[in-house]
Amino acid sequence: MTLWGPIWLTLQLAGLTMVLLLALATPIAWWLANTRARIKPAIEALTALPLVLPPTVLGFYLLILMSPESPVGAFWVTLTGEALTFSFSGLVFASIFYSLPFAVQPLQTAFQSIGRGMMEAAATLGASRWDAFRSVALPLARRGVLTAAVLSFAHTVGEFGVVLMVGGNIPGRTRVISIEIYSAVETLDYRTAHVLSGGLLVFSFVVLTLVYVMNRRGVRAGV
Amino acid sequence: MSDQLEFDISLRFAGFELEAAAEVPLNGITALSGPSGSGKTTLLRAIAGLEPQAQGHVRFAGEDWNGLAPEARGVGYVFQDARLFPHLDVAGNLDYGARRRGTPRGLVDAVIDALDLGPLLHRAPATLSGGETRRVALGRALASGPRILLMDEPLTGLDRARKSRLMPYIARAVAGFGVPALYVTHSAVEIGFLADRTLSIAEGKLQGWSGAGPRLLGQVTDAVPGQVCLAIGRRAVWLQGHGEVGEIWALPLGQDYLAASEPPGLCNAALTIEALVMQAEHGTGTCDLDVEGQQISIGWHREDGVLPEPGARLWLSLPRLLARPIQVNREAYESNLT
Repeated sequence: MTLWGPIWLTLQLAGLTMVLLLALATPIAWWLANTRARIKPAIEALTALPLVLPPTVLGFYLLILMSPESPVGAFWVTLTGEALTFSFSGLVFASIFYSLPFAVQPLQTAFQSIGRGMMEAAATLGASRWDAFRSVALPLARRGVLTAAVLSFAHTVGEFGVVLMVGGNIPGRTRVISIEIYSAVETLDYRTAHVLSGGLLVFSFVVLTLVYVMNRRGVRAGV
Repeated sequence: MSDQLEFDISLRFAGFELEAAAEVPLNGITALSGPSGSGKTTLLRAIAGLEPQAQGHVRFAGEDWNGLAPEARGVGYVFQDARLFPHLDVAGNLDYGARRRGTPRGLVDAVIDALDLGPLLHRAPATLSGGETRRVALGRALASGPRILLMDEPLTGLDRARKSRLMPYIARAVAGFGVPALYVTHSAVEIGFLADRTLSIAEGKLQGWSGAGPRLLGQVTDAVPGQVCLAIGRRAVWLQGHGEVGEIWALPLGQDYLAASEPPGLCNAALTIEALVMQAEHGTGTCDLDVEGQQISIGWHREDGVLPEPGARLWLSLPRLLARPIQVNREAYESNLT
């Protein structure tokens, strides 16, 4: 069996999750960085839950949420004609939840370090809030954006428990690299397991090194 | 149309309350002075629209600023900590407000010229010295074509020599570009040199107005790069600065002048000028003087309480000459001369 199927599926899943997650996490992180609302700790805890919850617990609740019997799952069936569970769309949906803290936290830290001062300076120079966000906050938070993108991509590549719970093990649809490794080991196909595991190990090491290099350059450049 | 900035602002924080109402003339430099924690910066921020919880009203030249977003007020704000954008070079910082407010390129170039920013244009803010950073922050605010400059202790943290180098830039910017300024400071040196009037504040309440410190006015009769010749009555004084013939300049006496009842003879004062005592008040210790046809008041503080008699001659010696162009109506200037 070819190894490219699971690899291609994993890259598609991680890429799509990364893009959607950045779009979703940016406003959440901006709000968390700037709000003084009493509800802030609760929202912060909610976004950080995937860090501490066993993937099986998260996967279990997501399975319930996405089943055609639930309002969310039923709405999806009405919209697309197919169920969220055991589908690629369901995997993307679950991955967004699972990798949320890996996007929100670097972005929130980056936005917090900018502070209100720069936004105020932009406002007194005639920039609307959106303009100031686009022209000052985002460029100053670019390290945070890059870190969020890289970490959410890498974390999605490495997910296993949630994928297994929500997507099962369907070749071409939900069988990503980590599931393929699990299946290979179960069938004593150690060669496939070695190739994929080694690949993931090298990939993860390179990605993390990149993140640390970026952070170091940012500290040196003073941004 | 009113040519005043009117405000009546109240703002409460935990343990602090600001209640301030005043009408500030929209010309020259108005100092807002008071001790640390007196509410100067908070008041300035409220005028700029940066304190959304502020109650009351702000009216600029008859235009209601209530509920107006900071970006729509057309202020130029110079922050105490400069707040230059670190991801843009100096030119990018100067263009930021200019592009958004549609400032003509000529004005931006004039600001660059007036503040000597040309050599800094391609530098990153992180590489600028403290004094250069303050100049760029002032230039950025001016280049946005503001209707009023709000300056929050723009020279704080600089030593006296650096302040003395930068204060003429501020004076020139305000006078040259015709932008009125509200200038927060607690420095007597800055007030003495820059302020046309001072509004005092303490513990969140305005305490009242005082006029400019004692100063002589003069007209520039000659100018070369870096120096101007100022005619003060019959005296002509060359001093450092950039100006043009015909401008009216103020020469503040400052904090360190000496008043003597006899000619000082040879001394190392930068300028000694003769004065005639017109009136001396025992209660306040104030002496009204006629100096080269100009009326000025100075404090006369002697422990024995002896004041000079009207008609007596005094000699004022200034240890250094630091003068600035001012926004003044020529008729007012000429009527000030007797």
